[in-house]
Amino acid sequence: MAELSHAPKGSAVAAPAGTGAATARRRPLPIPHLGRFAAAVGRRVLMLAILLALVFAAVELLPGDAATATSERGESAADIAARRHLLGLDRPVWERFWDWMAGLFTGDLGVSARGEKITQMLADPFPNTLLLAALAFVLTAVASVALGCWAAARPGRLIDRVIGHASTSAFAIPEFVVSVGLLMLLSLWTGWLPAVTVAGADGRPATWTMLITPVLALVIPQTGWNTTIVRGALADQAATPHVEAAHLDGLPVRRVIWRHALPGAVPAIATGLATSTGMLLGGTVVVETLFNYPGIGSVLASAVSTRDTPLIAGVVVCAGTAISLVLLTADLVRARVLGSHA
Amino acid sequence: MSTALTTARAPRGSAGRGRVIRRLVPGVLLVLLALIGPFLAAHPLDKPVTAPFATAGDGAPLGGDQLGRDVLSRLLHGGTALIGSALLVAAVVTALAALAGCFAVLHPAVGRAVERTADVFILLPPILGIMLIALAWPGGGRWAVISAAIILGTPYAVRIVAGAAAPLADAGYVEAALAGGESLIYTATRELLPNLRSTILALFGLRFVEAVYVISMAGFLQIGPQPPAADWALMIRENSSGILLNPWAVVAPSLAIAALAISVNLAATSLAPRSARKAVITP
Repeated sequence: MAELSHAPKGSAVAAPAGTGAATARRRPLPIPHLGRFAAAVGRRVLMLAILLALVFAAVELLPGDAATATSERGESAADIAARRHLLGLDRPVWERFWDWMAGLFTGDLGVSARGEKITQMLADPFPNTLLLAALAFVLTAVASVALGCWAAARPGRLIDRVIGHASTSAFAIPEFVVSVGLLMLLSLWTGWLPAVTVAGADGRPATWTMLITPVLALVIPQTGWNTTIVRGALADQAATPHVEAAHLDGLPVRRVIWRHALPGAVPAIATGLATSTGMLLGGTVVVETLFNYPGIGSVLASAVSTRDTPLIAGVVVCAGTAISLVLLTADLVRARVLGSHA
Repeated sequence: MSTALTTARAPRGSAGRGRVIRRLVPGVLLVLLALIGPFLAAHPLDKPVTAPFATAGDGAPLGGDQLGRDVLSRLLHGGTALIGSALLVAAVVTALAALAGCFAVLHPAVGRAVERTADVFILLPPILGIMLIALAWPGGGRWAVISAAIILGTPYAVRIVAGAAAPLADAGYVEAALAGGESLIYTATRELLPNLRSTILALFGLRFVEAVYVISMAGFLQIGPQPPAADWALMIRENSSGILLNPWAVVAPSLAIAALAISVNLAATSLAPRSARKAVITP
């Protein structure tokens, strides 16, 4: 089992656009388990805090604030000043920044440019978006590991090349283009699945069949990306002594991959999947718009048309938190696989 | 790590070059076609020539869009700005990343800063970042999208260059240059970068694909190009309501984006250094 610590070797070059140094060798710290957990959590929380500060600064420094952005044509300067006061935009920057950050801890995302509570505006749609993204994430994980293993079991053969080319092609296509293809195929030509999502009385999609096409549109590009990573990580593992030994011992290929190569490839795969969370959430927003799905996509679309920057910052907070959690999970998986064998 | 790999693949070296060129051709042709497209268009992009969502017929080979404008003409117009912006983003990001990536491996403090920056930016889905910048910069239009794509794409690209340059930083000639008192800039541009040609070239291709991805996504969400501009992503959005009446109004721009993304991506990955394509070796 000691050989497993070879896992991250060379995984930075496993994929062309690679997960890069994210998968670089990192020596496990010689501190107890709980300490390492706390350190990982602290690091991710710090990163998130920095991002939020950057978001706040970007909104602050760029010209145009919420009051001017939402101003009606012909509105007088006095009216704009009054609304600026109403939204609290005339207070010092640091005070507002502090209030905003402090509010985040209590789940208060502030008010939108129209003066509505952002937490309330996102309370219904965000879980819907998370549902879509989570389903897509799980399917992506299963599909990319399965395809990657299938390709690795027949290295250099036709199926390996087909899977390789297909995944390279798939991850380049934007989700909304995939959606159009699926829509033509599954809804318009065959009529198997509904073309738009209709929300039920509780604000959720009325039937589960309405989830299939949006989820597939998200899964196809992300599976392309992650299959490349899984295949690359397995190729790295194939070169390690213990996998070579298992192969030379005459164990069946399936067993070599499943029992000997895959465990060592887990850290690289976990990091790859975690880095695709951001793409997945971003893609969800777009796919939702196309399918009329009741998620944050529609909230964002209206925020774009009304130039509601605070609302978008609120969505960034939610998305950033979700991504941080996934990355943290990947950190812990890596620490578990690599750390305990060091 | 890669010695076994290079020896294993060496006999196929010359055949490999032909294959690389074959894979470059579709991408390059498509980019050229899209750039000269406006000159081939039969109709101006904002003139209705047929009924709204009319099916393919006389004067409009791909039918009409939601205002009865010729879909084919708009398709030929619609790629120029997208590809131009994407080329600009890819060039700037690659140049910035090449320099910063070399500094990062020569200077550990810069390296750590790069790592942390990439760690922070990975928490921000690119499309949300673009929305944020485009909205906080009213009147920025396409330039807001371009700047956002550059800002959001660079940290990650730097990380890739740094990853590729790291093994070279320990090479004797780099240490000799530094020990000989050469400046950081000289060492980065004269000693490191020439050895990273294929990585940089592949990075440029992949950044182009990524830029097409985010810019078209922004266009689809109506950030950047505004009607009546012809833009592939915007065409998909505008015409999706009439997909039953004239599917071509939606399918044609979708195919255009997909073909562009796939062909350039294949070209870029075929340029990637051998060590980055380990997936093809047998155990």
